[in-house]
Amino acid sequence: MLKLTRKVGERINIGDDIVICVLEINKGNVRLGIEAPSRVTILRHEVFERIQAENLGSARGAAEDLGKAAAIWRQKGQE
Amino acid sequence: MILENTRFGRVAIEPEKIISMPCGMPGFPGKRRYVVLERPETWPFFYYQSVDDPQLAFVIMDPFLFEADYSVDLRKCIAEMAWTGDGPEALKIYVIVNAADGVPEKITANLMGPLIVNTVRLEAHQMALHKSSYSHRHPVFRKCAA
Repeated sequence: MLKLTRKVGERINIGDDIVICVLEINKGNVRLGIEAPSRVTILRHEVFERIQAENLGSARGAAEDLGKAAAIWRQKGQE
Repeated sequence: MILENTRFGRVAIEPEKIISMPCGMPGFPGKRRYVVLERPETWPFFYYQSVDDPQLAFVIMDPFLFEADYSVDLRKCIAEMAWTGDGPEALKIYVIVNAADGVPEKITANLMGPLIVNTVRLEAHQMALHKSSYSHRHPVFRKCAA
């Protein structure tokens, strides 16, 4: 991992079109400004991890459980 | 084209229905081609089957079946995917269903990360609604039977 030290107001360029700026440091919180093209997805890592974990869970579920869930759906008449 | 998935057997793929995901699914970046498999025995749940990896299939469903007020701001997705010009009827919203806990009554859906499929371009993108209050583990079944 590349490690850099930056002061408030200083920037980092990633590739040709992504710029990250340190806006503010306050009591252990760092506020960043990010300029990037709209096609680039920018996420807090925790959000990405949650979505990834649900995707993994979805890919691992047993086919029998899905069949049972579908039967429950039909019973409840949730249509 | 036939795929062999160990979870539910042989799957016939129609090449003209293959959906491409330029960014892949979070956690599965290299798998970029999928098909939606609709089977009467698992309705309203569908499989989102990887074409590149026969063993990989996600479970998806229409979120409006259990959350009628669900709302997704698609503008960011449309910009990221360069889908400008396609009408709203081209875009279909699914959510990822997690049945991994082994309790079919307690399956959950990820309302925080909807899968948006452009049915005209046959492209898809999984969004992240990080500013919303939607849960990533929303129960599919209401606590009381209707």
